[in-house]
Amino acid sequence: MRDGDMSGEFTMRSLCDAPELAAYRDEPQQLPAGAPGKDGFLRLGFEHRDGRSVLSELAHRAPLLAQQALYYDEGMPELPHVMMICTAGGVLQGDRYAVEIIVGENAEAHVTTQSATKIQEMDANFAAQMLDIVLGENAYLEYLPDPVIPYRDARFIARTRICLPQSATLLYSEVLLPGRTHYRSGERFEFALFSSSTRTERPGGETLCSEKYVIEPQRSDLRARGVMGDFDVFANVLLFTPQGHAERLFAETAAEMNAKERYAAGATRLPNGAGIAYKIVGVDREAVQAQVRAFWSRVRREVKNAAVTQQFQWR
Amino acid sequence: MTSITDLMRLLQFGDSMLPVGAFAFSNGLEAAIQQRVIDDIDSLTQFVRTGLGVAATTDGIALIEAHRGALAGDVDRIARADHAVAQRKLNEEMRTMTLRMGRKIAELLVHVAPTPLAQEWLTRIARHATPGTFPVGLALVFATQGLSEGHAFTAHQYGVATMMLSASLRLMKISYLDGQAILREVNALADDAYRRSAAATVDDMAAFAPLADILAAIHVKSHVRMFMN
Repeated sequence: MRDGDMSGEFTMRSLCDAPELAAYRDEPQQLPAGAPGKDGFLRLGFEHRDGRSVLSELAHRAPLLAQQALYYDEGMPELPHVMMICTAGGVLQGDRYAVEIIVGENAEAHVTTQSATKIQEMDANFAAQMLDIVLGENAYLEYLPDPVIPYRDARFIARTRICLPQSATLLYSEVLLPGRTHYRSGERFEFALFSSSTRTERPGGETLCSEKYVIEPQRSDLRARGVMGDFDVFANVLLFTPQGHAERLFAETAAEMNAKERYAAGATRLPNGAGIAYKIVGVDREAVQAQVRAFWSRVRREVKNAAVTQQFQWR
Repeated sequence: MTSITDLMRLLQFGDSMLPVGAFAFSNGLEAAIQQRVIDDIDSLTQFVRTGLGVAATTDGIALIEAHRGALAGDVDRIARADHAVAQRKLNEEMRTMTLRMGRKIAELLVHVAPTPLAQEWLTRIARHATPGTFPVGLALVFATQGLSEGHAFTAHQYGVATMMLSASLRLMKISYLDGQAILREVNALADDAYRRSAAATVDDMAAFAPLADILAAIHVKSHVRMFMN
């Protein structure tokens, strides 16, 4: 694996050059952008050892850290669960995070967050996150963080790079809430910028697919038909998996507008036989997350022949 | 000053009658009407505007890059733009559409105005050396005719709007006159769209239209449909 700090520095610089950030390059009045305490780094390495997967490498720099791996998954008792934690009160202006998750050959892991990622109000600069996910042969990763909540005037850019061989499976989800819907009179799409890009490659360098979306509610009408319409919550789920799994899961996944539960969802096969993209928009967070969970359950059943157990009451 | 012949070529290659199969697609409109996301002139206008915005910030950028590659005689640069579009078509329906129309326009170009570049492009598509997307094919048509990237962008935006509006005439209660009024209205957005796309790089290609993506997924799985997926 590359040296995280060096490659993080280089790619973070290129990420911060993105044109959608042009209006937000001023320095915060507080600590400068990327200063100590605002330059988070987290590396999680998983390996398969003696019949189960372990968190074999953990490196971090404040404000990011992770707890030790826990084995509480009744459906897959050998699956390590790791929670990523941000010790700051949410994502602040000028924050720069780099996260690397490496899952070795035949290893399995589940990575999530401790709570929703709150992107705080901003009046200067922006926050940026790089995420690198690297999987080995037959590796299996469930990357299912809690939803992201961008507050009023928040500016956030994320770039995710995924590298995996054909035999590996990655379930990746991103759930975006419209803001603090219960704060004051309710905040919906008042953030300034949410930019997210994902590029997936094979270890040889062949690019399988790329996606970038730039959401600027203050500049373009998110309520337009075809964009969000009357929906508030957006989930983007990507599944990279061998083609046989992908075909069966695609057939099992309904594409529908559900008037009762007030959501719309649909899956599509990705280019180059990479897997499936599944998108959901909904009025309520619960209905959207229930669809993500149902899809996750089908994926785990298909790929690992295991069940996703019931949601904990407190989650 | 653009010559009259150039303007006539722009009309020809920007015409919705151009035999590249555009009539077979609705750019997501059929499912939107079936699912009642579109039910009147206002919602149709919004949906067409969304489609044009997505086309400008994704395909439109690659089209401009391919046009510049063609003027520079750099086939590999054109191919990079082509791969970049294809790997961003996560949506199967849009992928099918761009590849079918892309091949047809390459064949058309070789037939009506063969140049070494046009031949080379069609050969690369046939050998599966490049995906052969529609915006890149359209860029080659314009570049090899000596027409500007702005003209190519114009034809592309116009093609997206006429594809959706002519589909709407067959799918919902709307008069030809209303269709023309919408077309005239949305065309006013193209200048700004071109300025932004011309300043962007292929890496900047981005869009956000989740409902349109979901509708396309519903269209692929639906049993009754008039338009191809």
